[in-house]
Amino acid sequence: MTGASAQSLVDDRPGDGIFRVRRAAFVEPALFERELERIFQRCWNYICHDSQVRERGQYVRGSIGRYPVFAIRGLDGEIRCFHDSCPHRGSMLTRGRSGVQPTITCRYHGWAFNADGRCIRVRGRDAGYSREALERLGTDLKPVARVASYRGFVFASLDPDVEDLETFLGGARPFVDLMADQSEEGMEVLKGESTYVMRANWKLQTENSTDGYHVATVHRNFAHTVRQREALAGEADDARARTEASRILDLESISSGGYDMGNGHMINWSDRGSPESAPLNEARGAIAARFGEGKARWMIDRGRTVTIFPNFFLNDVASTCIRLWRPVAVDLTEIDTWCLAPIGESAAARRARIRKYEDFFLPSSIAVPDDVRAMEVAHAGSLAAGGEAWNDLALGYATMVEGADDAARELGAAPLHSNPGRESETPFYAFWREWRRRMDGP
Amino acid sequence: MSGFDAALTAEAADLLYREAWHLDSRDWAAWLALYSEDAIFWAPAIAGEEGFSGDPDNDVSLIYLDRAGLEARIFRIEGRDSFASAPLPHTAHVVGNVRAAETKGAEIEVSATWLVNSFRRTDPPILRAGRYAYTLRRTAAGLAIARKTVYVLDDRIVGPIDIFNI
Ligand code: FES
Ligand SMILES: [Fe+2]
Repeated sequence: MTGASAQSLVDDRPGDGIFRVRRAAFVEPALFERELERIFQRCWNYICHDSQVRERGQYVRGSIGRYPVFAIRGLDGEIRCFHDSCPHRGSMLTRGRSGVQPTITCRYHGWAFNADGRCIRVRGRDAGYSREALERLGTDLKPVARVASYRGFVFASLDPDVEDLETFLGGARPFVDLMADQSEEGMEVLKGESTYVMRANWKLQTENSTDGYHVATVHRNFAHTVRQREALAGEADDARARTEASRILDLESISSGGYDMGNGHMINWSDRGSPESAPLNEARGAIAARFGEGKARWMIDRGRTVTIFPNFFLNDVASTCIRLWRPVAVDLTEIDTWCLAPIGESAAARRARIRKYEDFFLPSSIAVPDDVRAMEVAHAGSLAAGGEAWNDLALGYATMVEGADDAARELGAAPLHSNPGRESETPFYAFWREWRRRMDGP
Repeated sequence: MSGFDAALTAEAADLLYREAWHLDSRDWAAWLALYSEDAIFWAPAIAGEEGFSGDPDNDVSLIYLDRAGLEARIFRIEGRDSFASAPLPHTAHVVGNVRAAETKGAEIEVSATWLVNSFRRTDPPILRAGRYAYTLRRTAAGLAIARKTVYVLDDRIVGPIDIFNI
């Protein structure tokens, strides 16, 4: 399959009702290199949440494909993003994954920079360097071409000509707002981070993040386990502490769906079996007053995964999660996960949110390990016959409708196509069309 | 830990070794029986470069479970329906550097260091390491685990983490 064009890997024939992807798309090493160049180096890449860089000089390390970068709050209060690479001879500048460094001193030869990226010291400057040499080599930190933030989510792009972040997020914005608007005081990333490794291609995580079809199989064990725990512990006094298993086990009893939001962004949603179990339920009155009943229903009564092209999602189903999956190699992905919470929620809601997050979103939970296994096994199996076989994404084709459904209209969202039911693969078309466009484009 | 009591350390070490043995031999009932009814099993998450998350009600932990939570984990393991946990890896716990001291209220504080090697045919071998902090309580039936804190040192986690491999 070496050198296969993305065109030949994505068989998209809307007129014939056919949409399929060749498995080589996941396993072919040459494609991976092309993805780094065509997708990650040109796209908006999620870097951090602004609550992680609240103080001046506070930074978070990130990456764009293989390129190390970091976001830092400058002395002027602005968030910037720089290549994590010393202008002198390339040493990485951040000392850790996150921290506060109002002055960034390169540990190698001692050049120093302020948090705005300006060089404030070249050791031995006058004796050792001519003015021309310093001008030629450029002593300030090299900024990443574009940085922008939408509702507190900070993104960066290496492409100076990339479209505006708002344009890129496009139709997915109302769903990002559903996370950002949960508290008038804003949202915060909680302490306690996690990075884990998946021996599978990063796109399997992109698909899995919006795949409602695996929930009843892979996560039935999660549902049975929490049911068992709740039976053992007796009914919790606080409804928020309960984990609703019904949305996993009794799909017939709830509404659900999936959307193509354009630009490769995908939505998957399900009504909660018991909305009282949502930690945000305590804010229902305030949220309905600010945003109306329709949006309150979306925020509280409906679980959502918001998968942003290519490798980032916001999940508000079991709990509130930010996840970023970083491509390391064609068959290796590093996954970062954080819990995002409304500032000012009650202690009981915070506790319930954290327990539910730990139940689902961590490599030590009772759900994510099963997902990781599923994706690793899918990757391994996709190697069969050199990836020649097709993933025929036909599930739900018959029920797909153009444009919005009633639920989307309630939010004022405008999907390109909708599917009534989370067990459908049609939202994936969004991702693969964007993937193909970028891989084959100029 | 400040004080150190040699006799108590020997007694506590025996309990820690038995716990590790039960986990490695998958005798889940015997393992759970070592825990008091009000026991808490806590594995904080990494926070920043050198620290761990603190207050479990405000920070995210890797695992924070009461006894019903531990029992449910056994249910998950024994049900053999978890994609990640069937087949289970073979594990070998090595517990060392055990030190125990009595504290106020007749509870016993124990610190120790652990290593767990896990093997499963389809996966690369996994080595994990960390520290334990226990609070033990004397009961009619002997020492019981009232609280176990597991500091997991991996900040880039390979393979699933569960009660049997930390
Ligand atoms: S590489 Fe940074 S000062 Fe030399
Ligand atoms: Fe899943």
